[in-house]
Amino acid sequence: MSITNGPMSDDATGLPKTSRLGALLQRSEAARGFSLLSPTLFIMTVGILVPIGILVVMSFWTQVGFGFDTTATTANYQMAAERPIYGALLRRSLWMSGMATMATVILSYPMAYFVAFHVHRNKMMWIVLITLPFWTSYLLRVFAWKVVLGYQGVINSALMNLGLIEAPLEFLLYSQSAVVITLAHAWAAFAILPMYVSLEKIDKSLLEAATDLGDGPIARFLRITLPLSLPGVISASLLIFIPTTGDYITPTLLGGPDGAMIGNLIQKQFGAVNNWPMGATLSIILMLSIGAIALSFMLIANFVRKRIS
Amino acid sequence: MNEHSIDRRPNCTHNSNPGVNKKSGLDRFFEAHGDNASLGGVRHQGDCRMDVIDQLGSLKEGKLSRRKFTTSLMAAGIGVMTTPLATRKATAAAADQGTFFTWGGYDIPELFVPYKEKHGELPNFAIFGGAEEALTKMLGGYVVDVSHPCNAGIPRWIASGLFQPIDTSRLSNWADVMPELYDLKGNIVDGRPYLAPFDWGQTSITYRTDMFEVEGEESWDMLWDERYKGRLGSLASGGDAWWCGAIKAGVPLTEIDTPDAFEKIAAVMRAQRPLIRLYTDDTTTLEQALASGELIAAMTWNSSATLLQADGVPVRFAKPKEGALTWVCGLMIHKDAPNLDLAYDIIDSLLSVESGKFMISDYGYGHSNIKAFDAFDDETLQGLGLSKTPADILAGGHFQIPQSQQWETKMNTLFEEIKSGF
Repeated sequence: MSITNGPMSDDATGLPKTSRLGALLQRSEAARGFSLLSPTLFIMTVGILVPIGILVVMSFWTQVGFGFDTTATTANYQMAAERPIYGALLRRSLWMSGMATMATVILSYPMAYFVAFHVHRNKMMWIVLITLPFWTSYLLRVFAWKVVLGYQGVINSALMNLGLIEAPLEFLLYSQSAVVITLAHAWAAFAILPMYVSLEKIDKSLLEAATDLGDGPIARFLRITLPLSLPGVISASLLIFIPTTGDYITPTLLGGPDGAMIGNLIQKQFGAVNNWPMGATLSIILMLSIGAIALSFMLIANFVRKRIS
Repeated sequence: MNEHSIDRRPNCTHNSNPGVNKKSGLDRFFEAHGDNASLGGVRHQGDCRMDVIDQLGSLKEGKLSRRKFTTSLMAAGIGVMTTPLATRKATAAAADQGTFFTWGGYDIPELFVPYKEKHGELPNFAIFGGAEEALTKMLGGYVVDVSHPCNAGIPRWIASGLFQPIDTSRLSNWADVMPELYDLKGNIVDGRPYLAPFDWGQTSITYRTDMFEVEGEESWDMLWDERYKGRLGSLASGGDAWWCGAIKAGVPLTEIDTPDAFEKIAAVMRAQRPLIRLYTDDTTTLEQALASGELIAAMTWNSSATLLQADGVPVRFAKPKEGALTWVCGLMIHKDAPNLDLAYDIIDSLLSVESGKFMISDYGYGHSNIKAFDAFDDETLQGLGLSKTPADILAGGHFQIPQSQQWETKMNTLFEEIKSGF
């Protein structure tokens, strides 16, 4: 009996529906695929979709004392659009994490390049060395930068001892640049590894062919290595841009009054300000902004790659 | 002094993750009398089904309390799966000790000498970074024996229905507790107190005596001094800064909730903002910056000045002519406290003279036990901004007055904007 038979066949076979379903699961490839996927699907649903769903729903609520008024309203979004602080902090966050992303990718690329092309033995050791700083807590790395950039920190003491400056440089710490520097360092491994993988995959015979056809090292790099490593560069950029935009630990510790980012504001909404729906609204806006930027970045990168090849 | 390391102070962030607990001790001032219309009564813990039904009902009415919301989230998540296992107790109690839910820095043996003598162990500690966070957690179903809020939050904490009145006859040290401290607004309901006062102190200015030139009397103007632009610091929480701003602006704290007061204080805070190098709730950061000379003056609690002086840094805790901000914190017993006898022992231990001496000498805070002050001479106490007749200081101080949740939200929203430069 074919499974394409209509519902009427239930009666005809006399089989209960459940065993028909079991048979269906056995036979249908799609169903088997789903059953294989189900743990992932479950985690994705419970761990990501449901929380985001709650966030979306909550962003249309209103805080009343310790509770919520669950009547749907767009008041939070209107407030986010009207009051200048939200837009300004969002723009500042995107700008700062954009700078951090650029700095990280530019500084990490040579490292990835070196490991991919110039290390022939013990590659594993190099990879381990790159990830070594990540064995310590993120917080510790942030604090380390506080020590380096601090008023009596490593840089200021060194410069003063060398007699280059009279008084400590105050702009080093509690500024936007401090946040960008720290983010760029703290996320470096997330840039190096994907770029290393895509550089590693490049077929070396292409480079040899280019040499045979008379290309110099710069031309080889620009015409072969760079374009072929672009997927790694793109994923590195996204891997850094997305989490750093919402970061609030680094700006809290190193940002000072002018270095606050949107993550700090979101955190305050859930804590001190006691306005969870507003926090949810700002989170949604942040997610949408990052999503839009990431998407356009990918589209542009794709376009450039097509032009190059 | 140095045996008590920096991270064990009451107000600094808990040492295990100093960056994350940013809110730190500040929120202690932050509590306010809330709109408790939606708080409702507290039901039997762990009855998830009841919560779900309640929640559906609330949804129909278009209202949902945060406790119901968080509880049902728990129910939907882990709660349902582990119902038989979940005891919903604070900790898997080590040798069945009571649980004290408090700020980082109060989880130390020095404060529990009588308790340890009696029970052989310290209580179990659960640490929060801010009282708001603590109340939220308990509203979500977290049960402890004793918790540690501050005066401005008491009426709202009581209104949550999560706490029981204190049977003072069970506390051997109660007779020595200063009445001014437990007779706080809203604390005594039907003749019984809900809060056993424990520690108190002031928010004022700690400044470098070698770097700050005081013109005339000490005053809140010091934190608005253009000469030290970029070298001044402040606690970041509105629970301190906003109230001190009110004192500076000349707004009586009784009138802090008027639109006029909001405008005046906002103007003062906006004027201060460009002068401030650092807003932080992490007192260690403020102290380090004062010690290195990065900051010349900062709004702090007593403990910062006490600790810096102990380290030989030339600082003074100002007595501003307009008055400092005074705060009182204390202990409340959870209504479902699983170890009620131990809860009273925890409180009694904290109210003891031994604990009081430690609080005064090492943290520079006031204590609620009047006898604790006998161990110190006048000079020492004065240096700490305290006195043998602490009632005088309390009477002269500016006490926060509990405000509605709407007020708190408005104040915090506005202050966050000002700090960010808007």
